[in-house]
Amino acid sequence: MTLILNDVLAIHWAIAGAAIAAITLVLLFVSNRRLGISTGFEDVCSLVLDAEYFRRASVLSGRGWRLPFLVGLVLGGVVSAVLGGGWSPTWALGMFDQRIGWGPAGKVAWMFGGGLLIGFGTRMAGGCTSGHGIFGLSNLELPSLVSTVSFMVAGLVTTNLIYRVIV
Amino acid sequence: MLLVYAILGALFGFVLSRSGAADYDFIQGMFLLTNFQLYGIIGVAVALTAPGILLIKRYGRTATGAPIVIELKPLHRGNLVGGVLFGVGWAITGMCPGPILVNIGEGKVYAIAALAGALIGAGLFGVSYPRLARPLGLPPLARGTGDG
Repeated sequence: MTLILNDVLAIHWAIAGAAIAAITLVLLFVSNRRLGISTGFEDVCSLVLDAEYFRRASVLSGRGWRLPFLVGLVLGGVVSAVLGGGWSPTWALGMFDQRIGWGPAGKVAWMFGGGLLIGFGTRMAGGCTSGHGIFGLSNLELPSLVSTVSFMVAGLVTTNLIYRVIV
Repeated sequence: MLLVYAILGALFGFVLSRSGAADYDFIQGMFLLTNFQLYGIIGVAVALTAPGILLIKRYGRTATGAPIVIELKPLHRGNLVGGVLFGVGWAITGMCPGPILVNIGEGKVYAIAALAGALIGAGLFGVSYPRLARPLGLPPLARGTGDG
């Protein structure tokens, strides 16, 4: 199957999974850090918000590696586009365009609302797909199993409601 | 080290971008159970990371010789409630936290709105932590819900 990005063919899942495992293990072995991305939202918040929560030791000590990692994620996207047919700003959103068909203003509202749930929910859960789903499950942690099952089931219900019931 | 983290992030971002993990249609296909790709990716990642972590823990030291420290995440009701909220957001946007940034890098303009929402959502959670701690049984504020 091809990606929305320039119709590039997706790499095989086994290669992608192995690459993610390798990066996760290098991060642990080289720099003693457990993979986790959603705490990076707190790191960014801690730069501008003065609430006690954002002055915790774990936020202040994690900022040094997580913020450059987040910048790297953006760069990875840029490189992927440049090497895969060229970089250009786009509003293309695949089956959302075909089935729901909202323009830019609707997409911004939709994405902002979903983003709020992602930011609030991941921080309440103490992790996201990377911290719970990959690292936590791999390290056999019960909270990660609870969270992973919760977000997978909730996503399943939501997408099926949107694409099999509503539209 | 700054450069090491940025390079690891860029490699991770590239893989997320090219594998479909940062693609709206692949995520909807995962939740509609019509596309195996993401299950394969997460499954292989966990199947290889798990023995890797075990080996590193057994070795006990990082590459520089420092003792390995893995802080475990605490168990609380937020794991479930927050997980559900995040799952709804993931389905709506087709992005989890890493892919929001990857999509911005790819040039998908709407992902900037998702990032704005996620940052404000995390900020709202942080400032309401004292009020949410008791109903959700969260750890003391100094510990937080868990890094990751």
